[in-house]
Amino acid sequence: MYGRKACQLVKELASGEKGQLTLFNIDLIDQVIAECSQHHLELQSLIRKMQEQGLDVQTSRNADHYGALIHHLALVRNKRCLMAYVHNRAEVIQSLIWKVGPILPQQIEERLSHSEEEYFKKHSSALKSYMSRLELDLTVDMVPPKDPYIQVRVIDDIGEGIVLSDDKTANFAPHSMHFLKRTDAEQFISRGLMEELTG
Amino acid sequence: MASNPMDSSTLPTDDYETLISTTDVELLKRAWRNEKAAPEILQFETDLIQRIREQILLMDETVEEFTSSGIDPLTVSLYQMDLDRSQFLLRSYLRIRIQKIEKYMFHIESTDELWNRLSREEKNFARRCTDDLKRHLDETVLSKLPDNYQSVQKQSVISEDDDMVPKPQLDTFVVCRSKEYLTGIQLEDGPVDDRSKLFEMEPGVLYFICYKSIKALVESGKIDLV
Repeated sequence: MYGRKACQLVKELASGEKGQLTLFNIDLIDQVIAECSQHHLELQSLIRKMQEQGLDVQTSRNADHYGALIHHLALVRNKRCLMAYVHNRAEVIQSLIWKVGPILPQQIEERLSHSEEEYFKKHSSALKSYMSRLELDLTVDMVPPKDPYIQVRVIDDIGEGIVLSDDKTANFAPHSMHFLKRTDAEQFISRGLMEELTG
Repeated sequence: MASNPMDSSTLPTDDYETLISTTDVELLKRAWRNEKAAPEILQFETDLIQRIREQILLMDETVEEFTSSGIDPLTVSLYQMDLDRSQFLLRSYLRIRIQKIEKYMFHIESTDELWNRLSREEKNFARRCTDDLKRHLDETVLSKLPDNYQSVQKQSVISEDDDMVPKPQLDTFVVCRSKEYLTGIQLEDGPVDDRSKLFEMEPGVLYFICYKSIKALVESGKIDLV
């Protein structure tokens, strides 16, 4: 049936967890694209047939016209599904830059197509150049600050002698707890090296 | 920021209230709230952002000066907190706008009215964004489709308007408040018979209303979104 494969593609998108990416389904995309070409061929052959019969393609309303229309609509629907799939994934890729920063973790990178990887790099550099033009880092301060200082615990080995914004150095041994400036701690928290202790 | 509380003693309370509500930080807070609640991108507050950035810089210097000259740490941390909050507002404001651009870039790029609302830096960013995403879409899907169906903006060559790109939903509902008594607002939703009735707004009362109906009033600054 027309459009079933494209529907599968969109379903795959919808059934996945929000904000997560599944493996880029290149096979299914190729199949849908092949279906589009097929529709286009049939569409053209129907139009040719009408022309051969000497009918005006724009105004005549015979069986061939409606046949061609069905092929056109099926093609357009397939295009919408393909675009929805790729565009929605691109949106997730955009949001990843905000969440994990400019370097993708391996397990996410594996699920992207080559073009998507390129897009991730290009988009994050566009974002970076916007921020450097403004001379303002927008990736910090993601939540409204309640207190300038927060209590954190080091989860992973960060190393010694990290210089903080007040020119003091700190020793972030694993599992040690610290009372830090939010702005200092945020970069470590977003990289998953520290966690905020609440309550 | 940096509204000096000392002034309050010399001013009657009302004047003080108006003074506070027109400080740049309050204005930024308003712009931020509007931007956050509006489904589409609003006019960039060029002058306000310029002033805020200068004030943040000044404030930053003041805090540093205080720290080095050994002023009471509590006082310093209060100033620091004020600074942090202004910084957050500024960043969040710019961030919300960038995220709207990411979401609706093709629509913004092709609509002059929206395009002119962006700052110079945002325009640069949006231009790069659309180029990159277009290339990605071309490479993955569009270039492989039949000729008449390759447009990013349109579903096929026979589409009259740009029906392929995502656009903000303007008929979503927002919570808003007016500063003055407004009348003659045309509601653009609900049953057709009701639409001819004009809607009025009392100052300071919260309304839950379709964004499209008050769009122009938000843009002219008569209504604040909450």
